[in-house]
Amino acid sequence: MEAVQKRIRTDAASVAVRAFGYVFIGLFSLCCLLPFLLVLGTSFTAEGAITKFGFNIWPREFSTFAYKIVFENPDQILGAYAVTIGITLVGTAVGLFLVAMTGYALQRPDFEYRNGISFFIYFTTLFSGGIVPFYLLMTQYLSLKDNYLAVLLPGLMSPFLIIMMKSFTKSIPHAITESAKIDGAGDFTIFMRLILPMTTPALATIGLFIALGYWNEWYHAMLFLSPDMKYRPLQLFLYNVITSADFIRNSSASSNVPLSDMPLESMKMATAVVATGPVILFYPFIQKYFIQGITVGAVKG
Amino acid sequence: MATVKRLSIMLLMMAMIVSLAACGGDNKGADGNSTGSANSGGKTSTDDGKIDTSKFETITYVVLGDKPKNGQLEKVMAKVNAIMKEKINAELQFKWVEWADWQTKYNLLLASGEPLDLITIGTDWLDTWGNAQRGAFLPLNDLLPKYAPQTWAEVPQEDWDQSKYKKDIVLIPENHFTQWVNHGIFYRGDWAKEFGIDKPITDFETLGKYFQGVKDNKKVIPWDVNGTNGALYGGFAAAYTDNIELPISTGYANVFYGKSYDERYTVDSPIFNDDFIKFATMMKEWGDKGYWREDVLNYKGDTRTELQAGQTGADQHHTQTFKGLRVQMDKKQPGSELQMFAFSDTRGNLISMPITHGGTSVGAHSKHPERALMAYELIRQNEEIYHLINYGIEGVQYEIKDGKRDLPAGYDETRDKFYTDFWGGRVDRFEIPSVNDWDQIGEIYKKYDAIKKPFPYGKFVFDKTAVDPYMTAISQVIGEKMPAIIYGKAGDPVKAVNDLRDKLKAAGYDKVKDEIQRQLDEYKKLDQG
Repeated sequence: MEAVQKRIRTDAASVAVRAFGYVFIGLFSLCCLLPFLLVLGTSFTAEGAITKFGFNIWPREFSTFAYKIVFENPDQILGAYAVTIGITLVGTAVGLFLVAMTGYALQRPDFEYRNGISFFIYFTTLFSGGIVPFYLLMTQYLSLKDNYLAVLLPGLMSPFLIIMMKSFTKSIPHAITESAKIDGAGDFTIFMRLILPMTTPALATIGLFIALGYWNEWYHAMLFLSPDMKYRPLQLFLYNVITSADFIRNSSASSNVPLSDMPLESMKMATAVVATGPVILFYPFIQKYFIQGITVGAVKG
Repeated sequence: MATVKRLSIMLLMMAMIVSLAACGGDNKGADGNSTGSANSGGKTSTDDGKIDTSKFETITYVVLGDKPKNGQLEKVMAKVNAIMKEKINAELQFKWVEWADWQTKYNLLLASGEPLDLITIGTDWLDTWGNAQRGAFLPLNDLLPKYAPQTWAEVPQEDWDQSKYKKDIVLIPENHFTQWVNHGIFYRGDWAKEFGIDKPITDFETLGKYFQGVKDNKKVIPWDVNGTNGALYGGFAAAYTDNIELPISTGYANVFYGKSYDERYTVDSPIFNDDFIKFATMMKEWGDKGYWREDVLNYKGDTRTELQAGQTGADQHHTQTFKGLRVQMDKKQPGSELQMFAFSDTRGNLISMPITHGGTSVGAHSKHPERALMAYELIRQNEEIYHLINYGIEGVQYEIKDGKRDLPAGYDETRDKFYTDFWGGRVDRFEIPSVNDWDQIGEIYKKYDAIKKPFPYGKFVFDKTAVDPYMTAISQVIGEKMPAIIYGKAGDPVKAVNDLRDKLKAAGYDKVKDEIQRQLDEYKKLDQG
């Protein structure tokens, strides 16, 4: 094959299609960006202006009061960040490793019980025991109350991600595994040295799913981590900031809380900004893997 | 392949057996054990009847709210526990259930069988009877006289009767604390005088005069309410009918009421009262005259803030709010003389709050219920502890000037804020009035006391399983039609009300009504048996 100089075709039709594509995708991304800008703008608006003019991208009356409330005790929020980052890192690393191993093992044709075990994993997606047994299991039998493990463990492996991993590793020919076996490699070596490097796109995608799951995790934290803990995950911390403000505002003055002017709307927005900020900064770095991973299974011409 | 099948079936069976066993396992004590032998702490009293407190215990108390994080709680509790240790050789520790998804968490905590000692309860908002049925609380009949004698003596027998599940006392009611959450309209006394309304407003007709006065003379919207506020409906029921509200929620407005206090076991509905059409007609007039804004149903503003800024002439809420708002208004709009037209003023149709709206129970799995009750007794009967738990430390959280609580000089909200959210047995006799509460509120309480009737549905819990879909449909109809009717934005009022009634009938109003009646009849037997 001689090297063909790649040249972009420049006949009118393709230019038109290309132009349309750029414009359309540009507008579409703008539509995705606008709500976030609205959140950002509103978070810097004085509460009074929000009730008067509604939400605005450009703050009509600039105020950082909402952030003041959210960051009232910086020690708290930094601790919450540390907990969330810690849980996310550990959870993603461990979870990814387990999911990858499970997914790989479940599609090995020479693994006799793969269908039975797969069935068990899928079967759990159909029924759930309900919240009370789950709560009892975690608190009474495993004694995980006020333990970060209570947040870490439930999110480690999800059947959906295992299925995803399984179908991706299916695309790697079994011959590779067999030839490595002939060369004397054990199963674990094959997995670590051959399979993992070949599945980076899937790992990135699944890793992102797990990481996002841990980053946004508040429900298990809410159930199992009591206020007696010094630091709790970020989302729960922020959720509490909002609910307590909501409650103070709407409470029937049954407590002796003086009804202060809580910047509710702007505070919600500030909370959203604080919670999503780092994820947005983090995303561009793994985007390329993400795109690759999503197109897995699509036929490449 | 066959082995795989067999193996998986076996595993599945095992999983099922295990889960069934687990279900069976946590069912102990759920049969409402009325024997209630509370012998979990071994020997608790010596032979001569003296209470043995030789072993130091930690008593937990579950409260609802956000745990204060500024260190003040620890300081106050150190003082409380010094007294506790000296008197009963125990320490008190609050456990908090935060507002984030509190209903789930609270019920899970009770279902989990954790050894909780004292628990905040409320029959009208914390599913207390449901939890009692599930065996979450320890029966207190035998323990109270011995371990909380003062509380046992001060609560009258009929109040204990209100605190029983079947035959067991499962809670200690907050029955010595005055709270009025009856609704009404707040209006400016100075403006009312200006428009020639000399007497306090006690009915809707006079209120209309006041609104007209504001409209004519004040350049502000008389009552800048938003359409999410459904209080006018309850106002109609209290001012024009003898109906009393049942604790059965149907969303925006409650359809089902008791016929009257005397006929409290008969279900009725203000919506099907002839006067409701008249009321709707009057509200249509009010809306047309602009007593509230044209787009009231979509307006989301904060009426209270506007009132304080002099931007509107009225606000709506209950007496507890009025108590503080009056003081605020005296500061922000000097001379405004804020008044409250309570909906009950018109015909004296006023029901007290249930005494079990607040209270304290002892957990079924408490390891030392005796000491828990002794700790409760101290909170409720020891003035020093009471003040510490409710107000904090004198000189830090509050100081007393002329017999009223005020913030000390140099008080900093972030640094010094303190609360315990103790709503399980406050008593009027230890309360210190706050400078933020209107000092004339006692007059209003007196007026209420003269006409109030006890809350008759304290132990009535409507089981809606049989009619749940109808209830949902009814709530939807109400949410859709009612706001427009009470703000006069539904066109012809006669047609609108009839349309609402037809829609309710179509949604299953009669079926629900019959079911409520059936359960009320049962409740009557229980109540009077």
